[in-house]
Amino acid sequence: MDDVGPEGQKRLLDSRALVVGAGGLGSPVIQYLAAAGVGRLTIVDDDVVERSNLQRQTVHADADVGRPKVESASAFVADLNPDIDVVTHRTRVTKENVADIVPGHDVVVDASDNFPTRYLLNDFCRLQGVPIAHGAIYKFEGQVTTLVPGGPCYRCLFPEAPEPGTVPDCAATGVLGVLPGTVGCLQATEAVKLLLDAGDPLVGRLLFYDAMDMTFETAPYQRNPECPICGDDHVDSIDGIEYTSACAVGAD
Amino acid sequence: MRVTVEVVGEETRNVDVAADATYADLARAVGYSPHEVSVMVDGSPVPEDQPVDAGRVRVLRLIKGGSSGATLGPPS
Repeated sequence: MDDVGPEGQKRLLDSRALVVGAGGLGSPVIQYLAAAGVGRLTIVDDDVVERSNLQRQTVHADADVGRPKVESASAFVADLNPDIDVVTHRTRVTKENVADIVPGHDVVVDASDNFPTRYLLNDFCRLQGVPIAHGAIYKFEGQVTTLVPGGPCYRCLFPEAPEPGTVPDCAATGVLGVLPGTVGCLQATEAVKLLLDAGDPLVGRLLFYDAMDMTFETAPYQRNPECPICGDDHVDSIDGIEYTSACAVGAD
Repeated sequence: MRVTVEVVGEETRNVDVAADATYADLARAVGYSPHEVSVMVDGSPVPEDQPVDAGRVRVLRLIKGGSSGATLGPPS
């Protein structure tokens, strides 16, 4: 491909990507970033493989049930592309460990399943200047957007997380098995574009996918000058932010 | 006043709200708690307690899932 070529392939090989979550969204992300030849993949997840995961978490197999997902995902990558350097962290990304995990990566793929992690990644990565390929899923729907320095951040779209229990999640309602495959592939596409510095990334646009109607819709959004994370008078660190429920940024 | 509300991923509706209605009231009028959506005017979210002063808004639903979660069978 003219837009990638040997130079682009080398660029991917020299790149470092962090995938947060090795579940439904993380599986296709890990698979395609490894297949693309991204030189170093860091995978973070604290969970173990359950049999009920296997209808959508395609880097894990029946023999992996009970195994930490980071181990199973790492073995998958080794089988697919042994040239990839895989680093694993069997943990959740938290306020306490995020500074040990994120720096040094060229792109972060947010394949997490909870708001505290999502807002923490948004805030920390924006302050560190690391781009994020974001994705979220619910039942038959997915959302994808790309968060880069200079563009709007996730808080420009959704300023604070909702109170716990006010938004249904996949654990309560389920998700169509193939849905995270589609959404995760879109995130992987964005991550590869960012690493190649190619194309027009999904910045300031929220892509909404409805699997039942098989429709894609794009909603534009803008950087909020008053955003506490990327606005004109943004915070300098995440020290004053609690990532437990609504992820609000304090006034002082 | 009459407001055109586009719920992304769903239909667009014309909603009549009281003159002193807030954007939270508008979200509720299309069936959503203000906790689970962002009401956007010209590409930016507006505070839920602010009085409605736009003739057209876009409503984005906040969704949570990603990594874990339960299995959903094929639709019947």
